[in-house]
Amino acid sequence: MKKIKKGDLPLLWEHLARGALLYLPLNEDGVVNFAPWQKGARVNLDSLNTVVPPKNLVFPQSETYVHFEQKADALDFTPVQEPKGDYILFGVRPCDVAGLTVLDRVFLEDPLDSLYENRRRGTILALACNEPDQSCFCTTFDLEPGFAPAADIMLWDLGEALLWQAQSAKGVALTQNMDVYLSEATAQEEKTAEQLQVTAAAAEAAAVREQEWALDGVKAVAKEMFDAQIWESLSRRCLGCGICTYVCPTCHCFDIEDFSRGEQGERFRCWDSCMFKDFTLMASGENPRPSRKERVRQRFMHKLSYFPARHGGLHGCVGCGRCVRKCPVSIDITQVIKEAGGLINRA
Amino acid sequence: MKAMLQKIRKEAASVLASGEADLVLGWGKGPLWWQSYPAFIEEEKETGSLTWDPFCVPNLSKYLLEELWVKQKVALFLKGCDALGFNQLLQDKRVDREKVLIFGIPCSGLIDPQKVERAGLHQGLHSVEHQGGELVFSYKDDQKKEDPSSFYYDKCLTCRHPNPVVFDMMLGDAVAVNPQERFAAVGELEKQDVSERYRYWERQFSRCIRCFACRNVCPACSCRECIFDLTDPRWLGKANVLSENQFYHITRAFHMAGRCVDCGECARVCPVDIPLTSLNRKLIKDLNELYGEYDAGVEPEKEPPLITFNPGDPAAFLES
Repeated sequence: MKKIKKGDLPLLWEHLARGALLYLPLNEDGVVNFAPWQKGARVNLDSLNTVVPPKNLVFPQSETYVHFEQKADALDFTPVQEPKGDYILFGVRPCDVAGLTVLDRVFLEDPLDSLYENRRRGTILALACNEPDQSCFCTTFDLEPGFAPAADIMLWDLGEALLWQAQSAKGVALTQNMDVYLSEATAQEEKTAEQLQVTAAAAEAAAVREQEWALDGVKAVAKEMFDAQIWESLSRRCLGCGICTYVCPTCHCFDIEDFSRGEQGERFRCWDSCMFKDFTLMASGENPRPSRKERVRQRFMHKLSYFPARHGGLHGCVGCGRCVRKCPVSIDITQVIKEAGGLINRA
Repeated sequence: MKAMLQKIRKEAASVLASGEADLVLGWGKGPLWWQSYPAFIEEEKETGSLTWDPFCVPNLSKYLLEELWVKQKVALFLKGCDALGFNQLLQDKRVDREKVLIFGIPCSGLIDPQKVERAGLHQGLHSVEHQGGELVFSYKDDQKKEDPSSFYYDKCLTCRHPNPVVFDMMLGDAVAVNPQERFAAVGELEKQDVSERYRYWERQFSRCIRCFACRNVCPACSCRECIFDLTDPRWLGKANVLSENQFYHITRAFHMAGRCVDCGECARVCPVDIPLTSLNRKLIKDLNELYGEYDAGVEPEKEPPLITFNPGDPAAFLES
């Protein structure tokens, strides 16, 4: 394994940014989100999750894909040139890497989404979490706060340095010719990282157990959950905003709209939210999810029941805790999981 | 803090037992320290789940819009800022005062979880409560005591009405009113030249994720059908691009002009920390300067400045 001294990171970033677009968690007005790195940018590798997950880099909130223009004899279509060139995502947390894996199941399986496929080409350097937050629960989904198997390169924070391990062909390629910045890690450092990984997972799992909920309940009662009482009480306090869906690393619903002025316009797709009342509004005026109850139920059922049923048991939640932290009225998916567990006990 | 909690539970139980109200809106507690959320209590036996702690920030009054369709009388607890929002709903004729029973809670400020996090006090935290003049942070095996002043929400530091201006019964003694100057941040922005200020707001609005939490939480946003939800015509395009985001925020701010009670909920719920308070306060400040002091939410029967016309009103925009 390799390592890089933290003091050398700006030099490394400068080097990486020469050959590719480099995204890092940057602090703008106190808000940390992934953004293109420039010299002097305020990088923040210490805060755990960015507010907006890196999904917006592979699946932008708005993406125009065709321009159209009314010519004399026909409507003329011009596809938008898709972005090319390498990019690197540095400092992605393991839950967010897992989030991309969930999105892959949606967009890269048949029918293949070429816009997504093109944007998914980047190289991912994941950063292990040494100290998960109270709202983190990735271990619930058999993920590890300290390890992201799907990342191209895995980094562990050792205090003074980052331990560096290439995990894919892309990762190996990026690691080559980097001797100026990287040095060999000692056996002791490797052991420390291993220990950090174990401690983080244990700490998070212990915190989750302290809250007394587990996923087993959901697996057993997924079908019965549809008529559960909780949807009534949760939806009553829901504000109907889209925070939970838009800060979610796995939510992937989108809408397609046209923007046109005069004789020309463009067609774009953009994130949509099942929390919005017009999400299922049909042209006829019929709305199969007329109240907040159906909408709140949909969001949780999709993540915990429908998605795993369709994708071989893979859940549509990676336990990043963003929705738990950001919901203005503390609607908490872990409480839904707990209630579902309670359903079995009552049955 | 504990005395107030007892009063809250007692009054809730009493109005449900007597049938004086068929619903009580209060706050319940989730498993994590900052999770104090709106609770809907219909049975006397459930009143023991009500909570009162430094995180009971959500304003309960907007829930009346839905609940009063089915409930005969709703009792609810209002802090100072919540009471202003309630009065705005009253002025907009969206709630029937006769169907509401208000318990007022004098409030000396609530705690901002983000400030707790920034101070590094959040790991392993179980609960936070006021004890004497101190804020006590409880962990599994120990406690830390801090001066509460550095943890209050910004909006609490500038609060001019900590004692509810509307109530049927007040649950505690009035607290001292000692607000910091609320237009300070606006003043700083006004000092910037136009292009600098424009770049500042461009940066803020670029961050918007269009979740509409600011609108949905706002007690002055109570239209049955919102212009931003209309699909025909589609006034607000769905694309998250700067021009649409600007259109959304600026239009909303102007719709709030003279009606924003400055409760700060929009800025609190914003997931990307857009300083909406500064935007709203700029309009409040301008209105005060143009049409005389007006404090939305304080006297709902008093006509707001943009609803009234006086021949002497400044109209420079007509003369140029």
